[in-house]
Amino acid sequence: MKFRRLQRRTLALIAVIAPLVALFVYVALRSGPLASVPVTVTTTELRALAPALSGIGTVQARYKYKIGPIHAGRVERLDVHVGDAVKAGQVLGEMAPVDLDERIGAQQAAIKSAEAALRQAEARQTFAQTQANRYERLLAERITSEENTAIKRQELAVANAALWAAREDASRMRAELAALRAQRSNLRLVAPVAGLVTARHADPGTTVVAGQAVVEVIDPASLWVDARFDQISAAGLAAGLPTRIVLRSRRGQDQPGRVLWIEPQADAVTEETLAKIVFDTPLSPLPPVGELAEVTVQLPELPATPTIPNAAIRAVDGKRGVWKLTDGKLAFMPVVFGRSDLDGHVQVEKGLAAGDQLVVYSEKALTARSRTHVVDRLPGVSP
Amino acid sequence: MSARGIRIENLSKRFGAGDTAVLALKDVTMQVAPGEVVGLIGPSGSGKSTLLKCLGAVIDPTSGRMILDDTAIYDDRWKVRDLGALRRDKIGFVFQAPYLIPFLDATDNVALLPMLAGVPNDEARQRARELLTALDVQHRAQAMPSQLSGGEQQRVAIARGLVNRPPVILADEPTAPLDSQRAMAVIRILNDMARRFETAIIVVTHDEKIIPTFKRIYHIRDGVTHEEAGEGRGLD
Amino acid sequence: MISLAGRDILHAWGKFIFTGIGLGLLIGVTLTMAGLYRGMVNDGKVLLDNSGADLWVVQKDTLGPYAESSSIPDDLWRSIRAMPGVAQTANVTYLTMQVGKGDEDVRAMVVGITAGEPGVPGWPPHLVAGRQITRGHYEAVADLATGFQVGDVLRIRRNRYTVVGSTRRMVSSNGDPMVFIPLKDAQEAQFLKDNDAILMQRRRTEANPAFNRPGVPDLLDAVIDSQTSNSYVNAVLVRIRPESTSQEVADPIRRWKRLTVYDRAQMEDILVGKLIATSARQIGMFLMILALVSAAIVAFIIYTLTMDKIREIAVLKLIGTRNRTIAAMILQQSLVLGVIGFVVGKITATFAAPLFPKYVLLVPIDSVMGFLALLAICVLSSVVAIRMALKIDPAEAIG
Repeated sequence: MKFRRLQRRTLALIAVIAPLVALFVYVALRSGPLASVPVTVTTTELRALAPALSGIGTVQARYKYKIGPIHAGRVERLDVHVGDAVKAGQVLGEMAPVDLDERIGAQQAAIKSAEAALRQAEARQTFAQTQANRYERLLAERITSEENTAIKRQELAVANAALWAAREDASRMRAELAALRAQRSNLRLVAPVAGLVTARHADPGTTVVAGQAVVEVIDPASLWVDARFDQISAAGLAAGLPTRIVLRSRRGQDQPGRVLWIEPQADAVTEETLAKIVFDTPLSPLPPVGELAEVTVQLPELPATPTIPNAAIRAVDGKRGVWKLTDGKLAFMPVVFGRSDLDGHVQVEKGLAAGDQLVVYSEKALTARSRTHVVDRLPGVSP
Repeated sequence: MSARGIRIENLSKRFGAGDTAVLALKDVTMQVAPGEVVGLIGPSGSGKSTLLKCLGAVIDPTSGRMILDDTAIYDDRWKVRDLGALRRDKIGFVFQAPYLIPFLDATDNVALLPMLAGVPNDEARQRARELLTALDVQHRAQAMPSQLSGGEQQRVAIARGLVNRPPVILADEPTAPLDSQRAMAVIRILNDMARRFETAIIVVTHDEKIIPTFKRIYHIRDGVTHEEAGEGRGLD
Repeated sequence: MISLAGRDILHAWGKFIFTGIGLGLLIGVTLTMAGLYRGMVNDGKVLLDNSGADLWVVQKDTLGPYAESSSIPDDLWRSIRAMPGVAQTANVTYLTMQVGKGDEDVRAMVVGITAGEPGVPGWPPHLVAGRQITRGHYEAVADLATGFQVGDVLRIRRNRYTVVGSTRRMVSSNGDPMVFIPLKDAQEAQFLKDNDAILMQRRRTEANPAFNRPGVPDLLDAVIDSQTSNSYVNAVLVRIRPESTSQEVADPIRRWKRLTVYDRAQMEDILVGKLIATSARQIGMFLMILALVSAAIVAFIIYTLTMDKIREIAVLKLIGTRNRTIAAMILQQSLVLGVIGFVVGKITATFAAPLFPKYVLLVPIDSVMGFLALLAICVLSSVVAIRMALKIDPAEAIG
């Protein structure tokens, strides 16, 4: 009877103490450095990787024409605005001719004057010819002297020469006129190809220097992406590879394209390889030149090899490898890796076989002495 | 005169020194034989508490002799070294209030004393149970003091006083809080126990109800005692 | 002999457990505070561990990328790579800034990691979800403490980054969680301010006749381009060959490249000794105070418990209980109280630790020392109580 009383009391106390002790033991073992590290595992899988390269670039026009005067001058008029479509040969604007028009007029007058002089020379030559013929006939009939005939012959020769000089003079005048006209037409800014006006750098009335671009025209059909790839991840980049282009303003849409060529000169400062990517079909509406784009170049699929997720790659003492789990024991395995794809799968060339179990995620850094237990998902991570 | 029981000769107790000294006990002489229940009656301030404390080896007397069970325990100074052991083994206490240990049940309250003396637990509890039965509270043996009635508590306290079979029991106003029926019951028990276990019992009281039961009474006034015959009735 | 202490505890168990829990909460707070201190120091260590570097090369006479801003050209790594004993180098940038997601933003340390593969210094050494960065731009790995999960889209300056992987316990020495992005994007983020500032700068450059020469049409564009590019990084992380010592590798770099190089021990000294020192000391002092207060309260509680039992102790003494027995009762009770308190305290501390915004590190040695200290306090305070108990006059029981 006595024991029953005592036992009841003791039991009640144990009911309070026991969970406390249990909690304490749990706390001691499961948290802090004594605890075992939760890890997730995976096995090496045979997978045919489809590697891809990722780069960024800007939309550029392949051909960009900067149209401007070859002499310093003032812009007289511009007929186009940004965004206008122009045809080949279309006049876009004109520089101020200054005195060219007057000089052309002067030249035209000079031509007329030279033609008049030419007619004059022709008339003289005709006369001299007639005279010379007559004196030749007279000489033949011994009516006139040798000297007179010689004089007439000489006059003919002089008149011929004068006529020839007058003709050349007129030609020269015409050539100079043509030169002035050419100069005059140079003042016109003409679109070399059909395209789109992308910039108007100077408005009418502005003085520009020789070579300064007044209007820029691009060929919209020739838009490409000027892409840059980190050299370290540009293995396999080659012309002709299919590419997916995502413009910054059109995030959800993939535009198909392909690599046109790889620039022979890389950027040594930024350590990037440059390449040009063209769109398979022209885009409409046109993306603005200079818009950022992300490109993904699809490389040909590789034969199936054992692969692991790149989250499993760890470095211990400078060697890269993975933590292998064999029968619950942890061991670090240095691995030689091959190619990888953009989803994080990496080929294993040496060090692991298909079906080997390895640690992917771990709560803490692992050492050879760590105790681990396998979970499906680490705590705190949402699925 | 029997050699057992308790005998006091010329016991004096002085408090303080010099001019402020108070003589609480003056040459007190008393004796109680085994099996006897004597009353010690006196007004407050008469020195009866002091006498009890001296008898109980709780305070040191100033001079005199105390002989317990034929052994002088005090002769102008203590003759035993371990007063605690003396109290535990030779003197039983019954107080006005039961003063039970609240976290021990009735049996263990009583059994604690023998256990303190080194008696094995089972035997101690056995003795306790016997006494509780003798005092008719065995049905409450497992109860905690808070669950006992006043009278039951008092009986357990008496049992505790008796459990080590001390030669002398000092009872200080044991019936003060009780009504006449229960007071008589307690006195009857004390007499019963005294007879049975041959214990000398000194009952300090001024309870009118029980005074007539004493065969011998010691009156004490201003530290002086004198013996008187009591009526000795009412115990049947 | 029955155990008086045990019986008393059994009888008044509610009071004991209650007192124990109260004590335990106090002890839990003390343990947590110790954990806070250790967590701060650990933040610094973890930062160094996670970088995977043996040496840090920074701008001359600066305190390294974490304690002070350091700027070195981003092609410097090539000359360091060629030095003897160097196994691997990696550029890295660090910038503590606000990283946005939706409407909210979070303070994080944005780490620019050099292009390459996992295992390169600076790259997160292990993940808890997702994968490492594979694209050269606009991907990020974020620590879970930022609140970002795999698949979230972050906003850093003007660019958007997709979180492809998650880490845990990748923090700066301040406790700010890390976000890893490709180095080129980080360089841009570190340098580029918002669009308005860029426009202002462009206008100012255009207005400057030295740059805006009519005879040289492309000069302005070239100048603006150079102003908006950034070719600097904060540090070069170096891993040395196993057969070399850090001293051997660091000295030539210091001497010939005129840069400052720190090894692991020096970095730790800078981080813990300079960066964290004041806060750590602050917490350390508070910890002392808390420990003293806890000790005082434990002592007070045990003293009070004993005082409650004066009458029983007097009776026990009167009926002949040995002093030793009474002393043992008080001592045992105080030890039991201490144990209950410690158990409750340890449990509380363990469950409270993850709730703190910064890392709280509870190490076993702290718990063990705390336990021993608590027992010592219990013993000492029970000594005081015992002395008081033994002085009690049994005569009081008689009244």
